[in-house]
Amino acid sequence: MKLEIDESRCKGCNLCTLVCPYKIYRPGSRPNRKGIYVPEMDRPERCPNCRLQELYGRRLCGMCALICPDQAIKWVPEKPYEPMKVVIEY
Amino acid sequence: MRNEWLRSDRLPHIYCAGCGNGTIMNCVLEAITQTGWDRTRTVFLSGIGCSSRAPGYIMTDSLHTTHGRAIAFATGVKMADPSLHVVVFTGDGDLAAIGGNHFIHGCRRNIDITVVCMNNHIYGMTGGQGSPTTPLGKTSTTTPYGAEEAPFDLVELAIAAGANYVARWTSYHVKQLTDAVYDGLLTPGFSLIEVRCQCPTSYGRRNKYREPTDYMTYLKTNAILKRKWEEMERSGENISPDSFPVGEFVRRSRPVMGVPDEA
Repeated sequence: MKLEIDESRCKGCNLCTLVCPYKIYRPGSRPNRKGIYVPEMDRPERCPNCRLQELYGRRLCGMCALICPDQAIKWVPEKPYEPMKVVIEY
Repeated sequence: MRNEWLRSDRLPHIYCAGCGNGTIMNCVLEAITQTGWDRTRTVFLSGIGCSSRAPGYIMTDSLHTTHGRAIAFATGVKMADPSLHVVVFTGDGDLAAIGGNHFIHGCRRNIDITVVCMNNHIYGMTGGQGSPTTPLGKTSTTTPYGAEEAPFDLVELAIAAGANYVARWTSYHVKQLTDAVYDGLLTPGFSLIEVRCQCPTSYGRRNKYREPTDYMTYLKTNAILKRKWEEMERSGENISPDSFPVGEFVRRSRPVMGVPDEA
């Protein structure tokens, strides 16, 4: 599972940046085609709900999708294993 | 999933950026999906106002009724077919001002409906006039020097009038709100869930909550759990006039009307 912001629905209220406990969302820096500053995602693979939902068989957090007034945040299924480069921070 | 309950072709909706009504719609739909109700046996009703646009985005039967009369129409729907599940979306101007009489008599009859009141302290759609729930000293277009009339406490009113389930949450407490709506839907009799939410365009802009996140921060810091509120009252602690208690206030089983077994 991975998070996705629907740009056609988002109105740029930045409520998701307030509630995410992992600070995955950041206020957007450049306007999109409609002039809306859509929030950007900062390393969304940190979201425990995306990683562990399948394992636990239930939703773990889901605050961003519940609080989004425009129903713009949703989970999309992705392939079980996608190799990606992980940068380790010290 | 709650996406199945939304009319995706109507989205994005007309609410302003950061409006709390969309959040409340999410929570109600999430609670309804948890109950597993049939989409064809659920009816959403609403009166007039920003909040009352919500049933238009939900893929069920709905009634968009006259100002303040949503509960009167809901009584009719429920009495015509008690097996239907009836949910009413209403705003504070709709419920407390023009529909106040229908509200207290709905509570008195204890008819089996669930009322979700989106309380944004203002008449948002018509330009930000002061409503019966505008807090003391807050500015609106009709109270430019600050509201001087004491606001309504909808929760106390519903308890006094006899509702079976009464809770108050805010649009910041989404999980708790979902649970409260779920409990309200399953409780036989009248359930009122008052939700304090933000209106950045009409209320926040005139009251120093310019961004939606500002009002969310206010809700987060000033919503005090009912138990803690009672403890603070008992110990005589100083409670800020901006604060308000949240939580489940009443859950009881008074005689009800419109439940299929008794109808």
